[in-house]
Parts: sequence; structure tokens; C-alpha cells
Amino acid sequence: MIRKWMSLPLLLIVFFAFAIALTDYENLYVDTARIFYQTYGYLYTGSLNLVTAIYLDFRLLDTLFEAGILLVAVTGVSYIAQHDQVEHNPLFMLDKFKIPELFVSLARIIYPIVLLFGIYVVFNGHLAPGGGFQGGSILATALLILYYIDLKKKTNLQLIFTIEKVLYLLLISISMISFLTRGEWFTNFIPLESNLLLKSVFLIALNLIIGAKVALGLTAIFISFLKEGR
Amino acid sequence: MEPLLSIAVILIGMYGLIASETIIKSVFSATMIESGVILLFLNLGALNGGVIPISDGVNLVIVDPIPQALMITTIVIGSTVTSLALILSIKVFHNNGSIHWKDITK
Repeated sequence: MIRKWMSLPLLLIVFFAFAIALTDYENLYVDTARIFYQTYGYLYTGSLNLVTAIYLDFRLLDTLFEAGILLVAVTGVSYIAQHDQVEHNPLFMLDKFKIPELFVSLARIIYPIVLLFGIYVVFNGHLAPGGGFQGGSILATALLILYYIDLKKKTNLQLIFTIEKVLYLLLISISMISFLTRGEWFTNFIPLESNLLLKSVFLIALNLIIGAKVALGLTAIFISFLKEGR
Repeated sequence: MEPLLSIAVILIGMYGLIASETIIKSVFSATMIESGVILLFLNLGALNGGVIPISDGVNLVIVDPIPQALMITTIVIGSTVTSLALILSIKVFHNNGSIHWKDITK
């Protein structure tokens, strides 16, 4: 059993490793890629938001594997959270007598606003700060507010998983169309010379799919935790 | 100065991993390490100052979008992996009756 004070030398070694690596911190950073993305990012992808341009066009393979990890993690959480006894709703955790009426009323007012804001963030992912992941998280928050409003709510987890798998297959197949039109894998399928507005169709479609996937995945994780906490 | 702060966050997380007595605290320490790494990357991308990376190619200085695109990936993966670890800890509690490392590794 390692004592706590024994960790001090280890932490010192790690600190000096970091300190040596970061002595030339100002010169460590090379801005060639930043200049490239700033110059050509909008022209190549049609996305004003360069972060969206990177994770939906230049580095789409990253996003695909990330969505895969999300799918695997959600499935794993639900598989581990499997339990024998049947519960109709998570009433045992959200006790109605402990939730103030004021909170429920305010949640009813806030719910559509949060939902609308999430959809706005997803749709404007290529023009403004935001995108599929951020908007999906906001949408998941909106869906979780529903559990405070309607305590008798039942959710079919299997349906959520089916939708999520279909969305993942859709994501992969949409990003593979580019092999037919452009001749290269995993990028925008609309030809490089076409209108910038036309190119953003691809970005909106992928942002929508990723937003739905993240929202459903986080909701499924939350429901699994609710059902596990018996 | 700022990289030292994020290294401090990373070191606190590592100390937490070593010294924590329950599974939950270990999971949170790992999350702290992840936060430190995110801070380090974002700071490295924003060294030259500049505005948010929303630009149509005109000459204005923006921060580097690459670390931000990588870190949004890290945040999503980190949250899902944390949830996986937490649900595993719940299962461990159901099986062993405790989440202390001492009781589990006996």
C-alpha cells in the first residue's frame, strides 16, 4: 500500500517533466495551421465557424470515431445498468413531495425556451458559436427537465438505442458519399467548386444528426442512472 | 503563468488519484486531470490573443481553432467515460457493499 507522502516525489518528477517541456512555451506554438484554416477554411467548407469546419470537414474521421465512442459508452452504461425488477418510472428518486411547486411551474415555462435554444444552436452551428455537440447537450438538458414536470413519464430505452444506431449508420453513410462525388473518403460530398451556401447543407445535416445523437445519448445515460439508483 | 496553473490542476488530479480512498473520488480526480489538459490546450491555442474563430478569411487575428475542435471531442468523450466509470462504481457497490478501495482490493 503506497503512503500518501510517497506520492510527493512522483508529483515532483511529473512537475519537472512538464516544466522542462514548457520552458519554451511561447515558441512551442506554430501557427501555420491556424493561418491555413483562416485563409481557406471558409472557402473550402462554407462554414464561418472554423471549429465546425475542422470537425465536420477537415477532420471528419475524428468526429465519426467520437460518435462511435459515444454510442459504445451509452450502450455499455445501459447494459451495466440492467436490472431484474421492472420499474415503470423513476418515481423513487424524484419524490413528488420534495419538489417545490414553484420549481415545477418555472420548469414548465423554461422547457420550450431551452428546447428552442438548443435547436437554434444546432442549426446555426456553422455560422455562430455552437454546433452539434453543444446544442445536443442543451437539448438533453431540456429533455431532462421533462422528468421534473411529468413524474409519471415512461421512456422506452430500447427505442432510443435503435434510433441512435440508425443515426450512427446514417452519419457514416452520409460522410461516405463523398467518395462517389469527390473521390476521397469522409469529407463534404458537394463538389469543391460549388456555391458556399450549397456546401452548408452538408454541415447542417451532419450537425442535426450529431445533435440528435448527443441529446439522445445523454438522456439515455441519465435514465439508466435513475433506474439504477433503486 | 497560465500553463503553470493548468499543470497545478493536473498535479492536484494526480495526487487525488494516488490518495483517494473511494472509487468516486478517483473518478473525479481523473476528471480533474482532463480539465487541466483542456485548459493547457486552449491556452496554447490562444497565445497570440485574438477573437473567436469565426471568420471568412479577412485579415483579423483569431485564436487557433484546432485545439478547440480537439477539446470539444475530449469533453464529450470525457463525460461519457465518466458516466461509464460511475455506473461501474454503482455495480461494485451492489456487489461488495462498499466503494472503498481497501474493502474491494482485500
